[in-house]
Amino acid sequence: MKTDELITTLAGQPTALPLRSGQQVLALLSAMAAAAALFLAVAGPRDGLSALLMQPLIAAKTLLPVLTSLIALPALVALFYPEGRISHPLRLALPLAVAAGLWGFGFATLPGAARFAQFTPFAIVECVGLILVIAALPLWLALWLAAQAAPTRPMLTGALAGLVAGAGAAAGYSFFCLQDNPLFYVTWYGTAVALTMIAGAWLGARRLRW
Amino acid sequence: MTDRETEWAALLRAANAGDGQAYALFLHAITPVLRGLVRARGRALDAASHEDVVQEVLLAIHLKRQTWRADAPLLPWLYAIARYKLADAFRRRGAAIHLPIEDLRAELAAPMHDASAARDSAVLLGRLDARSAAIVRAMNLEGESAAEVGQRLEMSEGAVRVALHRAMQRMMRIVKGDQG
Repeated sequence: MKTDELITTLAGQPTALPLRSGQQVLALLSAMAAAAALFLAVAGPRDGLSALLMQPLIAAKTLLPVLTSLIALPALVALFYPEGRISHPLRLALPLAVAAGLWGFGFATLPGAARFAQFTPFAIVECVGLILVIAALPLWLALWLAAQAAPTRPMLTGALAGLVAGAGAAAGYSFFCLQDNPLFYVTWYGTAVALTMIAGAWLGARRLRW
Repeated sequence: MTDRETEWAALLRAANAGDGQAYALFLHAITPVLRGLVRARGRALDAASHEDVVQEVLLAIHLKRQTWRADAPLLPWLYAIARYKLADAFRRRGAAIHLPIEDLRAELAAPMHDASAARDSAVLLGRLDARSAAIVRAMNLEGESAAEVGQRLEMSEGAVRVALHRAMQRMMRIVKGDQG
């Protein structure tokens, strides 16, 4: 086909509504809230949650993943667009630094026997497994939104989708979780988030090419 | 460059608001620029596939036109799509283009001293179309250069190299037993 003919054909197509990054952010926040709410409606939050959240180490269990997800979200939506760049890449390292600090603090303040007492196979599988389950819906939505848009770095976009969804899911899970030891939650929430990032990167590299 | 930015952004804005004529103008305006990009970056491709790549980029711009936000600069958006699709087009064609011709030639030239191999090569050449066979014979058996063969067959030097390479691949497939 001649290029001029191609242009004539394309110009005759119906117009496409421009995407809006605000709507994409809103859709992702709603999906994470819905997934967490659904999980808590089925599993139920832990007893005495609101009083426990007054304790800094328990509040941090929720706040750290919320912070992570909210920092990664604008970076993810920026990458939906062809020319998109992560405007402050160093900000993404902030939650990692806080997590390392919390882990170190927990290790320093707990007596030797108490440090890893909660690392039972059941608790680990429950924690990592449920976070992955809660993350599935928001991760799917993030990849779907990315596919509607035009990410030029599919693997990185997928990994960030995993970070947003995994951290959001960890925040929701924290209202159910009984392990308040930072050594436990930093390690295993971190593992779950890393797994969703790997899943996102793997899917992104395969599904987000255009 | 700001003129181009303003002008093209205005056209695409009108296009997104439903003005098909503005859209056609926009696509016509960017095509020569895309062509230049493809030519500058696509020396490894033969000239014939340059226009195919230009069309692939145009099609991608069309399919992703909803990802340009009217408040964002247009040129970075346009170049990002073009760069992505160019890399994609070269990657897909690359496997067929970048295989070193010299290696294949050495491989095929070596057993030519053997009479049965020469007969085999005649059989293989017989299974190619006439033009490909002529190119292989001239370049691999008689040692003519791509430029000489190109002149004789009225083809560009690049096109001759690609034709030779495709013919060699085809012959190797026949030798390996698939029908090529």
